[in-house]
Amino acid sequence: MHPRLRQAAAQGLIVLDIFVCFLLLFADRLVLPYWLQPVGRMHLMLLHFPLVLLGIAVWLPLLGLGKDNAQSVSFVRFGRAFLWTGTWLAGLTVVMGLFLSREDGYAGDALTRHRWTGALLFFAASMLYLVSGKVWSRKIWTSVSALSITGLLLVTGHYGATLTHGDGFILQPIVREMNTKPVSIDQAVVYADIIQPILERKCVTCHNPNKYKGELLLTDSMGLLKGGKTGPLFVPGDSRASLMMERIHLPIGDEKHMPPEGNAQLTSAEITLLSLWIDHGIGFQKKLVSLPEDDSLRVMAAAYFMPVTDSSSLFDFPAADEALITRLTTADRNISHVSRQSPALEVSIYRRDGYGVKQLEELMDIRQQVVTLKLNKLPVGDDDLKVIGRFENLRRLELNFSDITDRGLRELTVLKQLRTLSLSGTRVTYEGLKQVLPSFRSVHSITLWNTVLSTQDVSGLRQAFPGIDIVGGSGYEGKDTLTLNPPQVKNSTLVFRDSVAVQLAHPVRGAEIRYTLDGSAPDSLRSPVFRNAIQIAGNTRIMARAYKSGWYGSEVVQFDFLKNAIVPDSLRLLYPLNNVHLAAGAQTFFDTKLGVFGANNPAWANFWAGARKNDMGLVCFFNKPVSLSTFGLHYMVEEETGIHPPEVIEVWGGADEQSLKRIATIRPERPVKKEKLLKIAEASFPARMVSCLKIIAKPPLDRKSKQPRLILVDEMFLN
Amino acid sequence: MEKEWLEHGFNMNRRRFLSTMSLGLGSVALGSLLVPDLFSGLGLGEDGLPEGVAHFAPKAKRVIYLFQNGAPAQQELFDYKPKLREMQGQEIPPSVRGTQRLTGMTAFQSSFPLVGSFIDFKPYGQSQAWISDLLPYTARIADDICIIRSMYTEAINHDPALTFLQTGAQQGNRPSMGSWLSYGLGNENKNLPAFTVLLSRGVGNGQGVYSKLWSNGFLDSVHQGVQFSNGEDPVLYLRDGMSRQDRRVMLDQLEQLNSEAYREFGDPEILARVRQYEMAYRMQTEVPEVMDLSKEPDSIVKLYGPDCLVPGTFAANCLLARKLSEKGVRFVQLYHQGWDQHGNLPFEIRSQAKDVDQASAALVTDLKQQGLLDETLVIWGGEFGRTSYTQGKLTADNYGRDHHPRCFTIWMAGGGVKPGIVYGETDDFGYNIAKDPVHVHDFHATVLHLLGLNHEKLVFKHLGRRYRLTDVAGKVVDGILS
Repeated sequence: MHPRLRQAAAQGLIVLDIFVCFLLLFADRLVLPYWLQPVGRMHLMLLHFPLVLLGIAVWLPLLGLGKDNAQSVSFVRFGRAFLWTGTWLAGLTVVMGLFLSREDGYAGDALTRHRWTGALLFFAASMLYLVSGKVWSRKIWTSVSALSITGLLLVTGHYGATLTHGDGFILQPIVREMNTKPVSIDQAVVYADIIQPILERKCVTCHNPNKYKGELLLTDSMGLLKGGKTGPLFVPGDSRASLMMERIHLPIGDEKHMPPEGNAQLTSAEITLLSLWIDHGIGFQKKLVSLPEDDSLRVMAAAYFMPVTDSSSLFDFPAADEALITRLTTADRNISHVSRQSPALEVSIYRRDGYGVKQLEELMDIRQQVVTLKLNKLPVGDDDLKVIGRFENLRRLELNFSDITDRGLRELTVLKQLRTLSLSGTRVTYEGLKQVLPSFRSVHSITLWNTVLSTQDVSGLRQAFPGIDIVGGSGYEGKDTLTLNPPQVKNSTLVFRDSVAVQLAHPVRGAEIRYTLDGSAPDSLRSPVFRNAIQIAGNTRIMARAYKSGWYGSEVVQFDFLKNAIVPDSLRLLYPLNNVHLAAGAQTFFDTKLGVFGANNPAWANFWAGARKNDMGLVCFFNKPVSLSTFGLHYMVEEETGIHPPEVIEVWGGADEQSLKRIATIRPERPVKKEKLLKIAEASFPARMVSCLKIIAKPPLDRKSKQPRLILVDEMFLN
Repeated sequence: MEKEWLEHGFNMNRRRFLSTMSLGLGSVALGSLLVPDLFSGLGLGEDGLPEGVAHFAPKAKRVIYLFQNGAPAQQELFDYKPKLREMQGQEIPPSVRGTQRLTGMTAFQSSFPLVGSFIDFKPYGQSQAWISDLLPYTARIADDICIIRSMYTEAINHDPALTFLQTGAQQGNRPSMGSWLSYGLGNENKNLPAFTVLLSRGVGNGQGVYSKLWSNGFLDSVHQGVQFSNGEDPVLYLRDGMSRQDRRVMLDQLEQLNSEAYREFGDPEILARVRQYEMAYRMQTEVPEVMDLSKEPDSIVKLYGPDCLVPGTFAANCLLARKLSEKGVRFVQLYHQGWDQHGNLPFEIRSQAKDVDQASAALVTDLKQQGLLDETLVIWGGEFGRTSYTQGKLTADNYGRDHHPRCFTIWMAGGGVKPGIVYGETDDFGYNIAKDPVHVHDFHATVLHLLGLNHEKLVFKHLGRRYRLTDVAGKVVDGILS
């Protein structure tokens, strides 16, 4: 061979090696175009060539062709040509095999092993080719390579055969392996799926049409009923008297014991199953689930099956085109697969405004696949149900709060698979349902809450249709008398400047609010009913309570409306606030936002201004002098969590900051017990004109440690 | 032969080697034609199956999780332990306490006197489940719920325990359950996010909830939980005065800019942002219908209690949860704060229970009467349990309970869970599990199973390893599946 050609051959092999490496790495993510699939399938044909060629190539140098031959250049070249061809074909076979493995039906350990041994074989062979010139002349290497390549060929071939023909293919005729069919427990027939398999495993090797020992056939029900040379096998209903059980229970050494000594014996579970089946009367068609749930046969047999697969997930119609599903899916109409690999689809339509029957008509191309249709709270009318009737495999239909009536229900009787039907909040009636329900043969469950049906109607239907789970209301509707929640204030704040229109409201429709302005508790007879806004112009405590027939009156709630007639034009803090309780800085004191209790509450966290290490000091400036006669400061006390009232509050006033005089001093009371308080510290004094006002609030000192304690203050009231 | 090998060796010099390798690269290029997602990494899940579709036919399509934040005391609600009353004030036997570590709050306590429930219990429903007098409405739905008394966790403090229950790991930065579901199942209604969060607060001692609990972790940002505000407008700026058409034009322009930015930087978060703008745009059409309570019949107000009309309350959130769920939101997560009764338990737990009892039961009843309960999984419970001994001083009418990870009670309803059963048992002291323990990972595996997802296959590769909600543990609790 020309050296250039030889070199190209070696390069070609390396290229193929890399290509195979790549495909192996991404084997799980390969997506094959359809036209490449036939190439994959040719794997099964091509594989025989490298099998033979590689075999010959590796054994050739070892064949007894004499030393001279083995060393001759032409012989070596001949061998290498064989090896190259075999290796190339092996590489191609691997590539095709990887393609083929992407088709359905190839999975599992055998595939993995076949893939990797095959790839290994190819890599080993190419390695051998690339280094063969150097080492092949030595007999030890020749033998090692011959043996290992042959070994790999055998192993790869074996796994390949397992993939094509199934596990234990070679030995199958000798050891009859029982192949359990994947039957779900609710489909299982006692004889076909439990009893016959036992016979297959342990008896039919001798009692089959080819062997026919004792003139007994155990391959089908006819043979079983006929019995053998000695007579009938069974006394139906009495296993103890049955010949079959007698033979099984004979001591194993006995000549008539079955299965004969030396053959696979029945397990005790199998014996029990057989005898229970005889005791049940030798049925051939009986389904396992038709037996009572605590029946021994059912309980024992259940262990033979996989966990129950929901029969609702088994469908025999073809899958719809994915592109079609994508095209039909819109923002308001969702179409989703029930699960992977399931052809069944679930359709939900949302948004009342956008609904039209067209949205259902457009689904005709996938009407076979739609098993669930959710149309709750849409204006679906009786005529639309004709369209719905064409979704032949529909199992669940939700029509809560739609516009359908009895008339429309009749259109749904064509749905032979329908199991669940939701009709809550529709205009269906007792008479209508009574007429139409007998035609719904497959329906398991119907929801009828919030319809005109009374509790008696619902129980009437339950009696008439015991097979259907009829869901009405909670059963407590109208029986509970609840307490109303208290009225609410709609004003954004309880602090006002000159006057305010108080707006009370209640979330429950039709609730009546009664109120007082004098601090007394309102009652349902004498207190005025809130209708229009209440105009107030001074500090006012509004007590209010809500009433409605069928409800208990609410608790009394109180709202303290607070007047702050004078608002400073500018503000300045004299000292820094506590760094945890900065609130809104100087603005805190006139922002009409009142702090409350409870560290979790934003109104606690954000509205209280705090001071501890230094006083709280605020200077207020007024562009024009104002007349001041009362002062108030809102503060909070919660000694348990270390929040105390100010020791003293001083109010200073004057024309400017330099000429301030003390106007008032307030010493808030310390609470006697550890109680929680929200209070306003107030002072009244003869009216005076001020342009500047300074307020100082001093934190108290702890009596023992002499350390200052935290105070929390917020709104000020200047009137 | 030797000569030839030498020749070959010379021929295979570096340049030739490289040229051969480049041929090899050519073969890789050829092969890459067959691996369409080689460079995109999108479209297929880690198990090679399309994302957004259940692995097998699910029982539940949606989840509503009524999280009782702060850990409700099982001894006062669902786990009836008369023995504790008998032994009131006596020291908890060391054999019961074992080597359980304590929190910093009781570690230095010199004695651990047992304390029985201040409230009585009665058996309800066909299973005769013991439920306390604090939960009269829950007692009515005893036949619809599955009470699991044998939950346990590993964490002993709120934040790690809460994070563990929500994300399957104590340390945070992992996707929340709702995000995993959004990733595994996708949106049912494209006009609403797949995962929404609603917050409320009771009067009891509260513990914080943080947005990390509804984080998408390493998953795409579109799977993040969307928190609805608990004021009058659950979604702000729905009606922003801009016409739909103007908004559309604005978004289209913005999308062009964003696409350009994506081409330049390649950050997938830019695409996620674009999708979120689109979601917000579509939400403007759907959310007003969801929020509209005027079409709810009066009986609904009585069912949930009048507070369901007061925005921000637990009752209002329960009703909103039902309305979101019926509109196809996969996972509605509620948090109700205030269950951390270290002290003053008898007073606080009464109002906490009153806050949630009626609305929780109403939600189950409401879903049932609309035929939605079979497809909706409702979960009620906290992050761990509370101790059977008192924290702080035990007085005639007052006591507290500390954190207890070894056992706690939750309940589930609907969505393929066996109704009307009690699963698992604790010992007479309510301190250790006596039968059928359910670990947090098992709980997650079960919830995913009910939703048609194999917890071992719902994986996401991140930083070189594959992550699951159940980490490397978890088994489905078959005993509660219907």
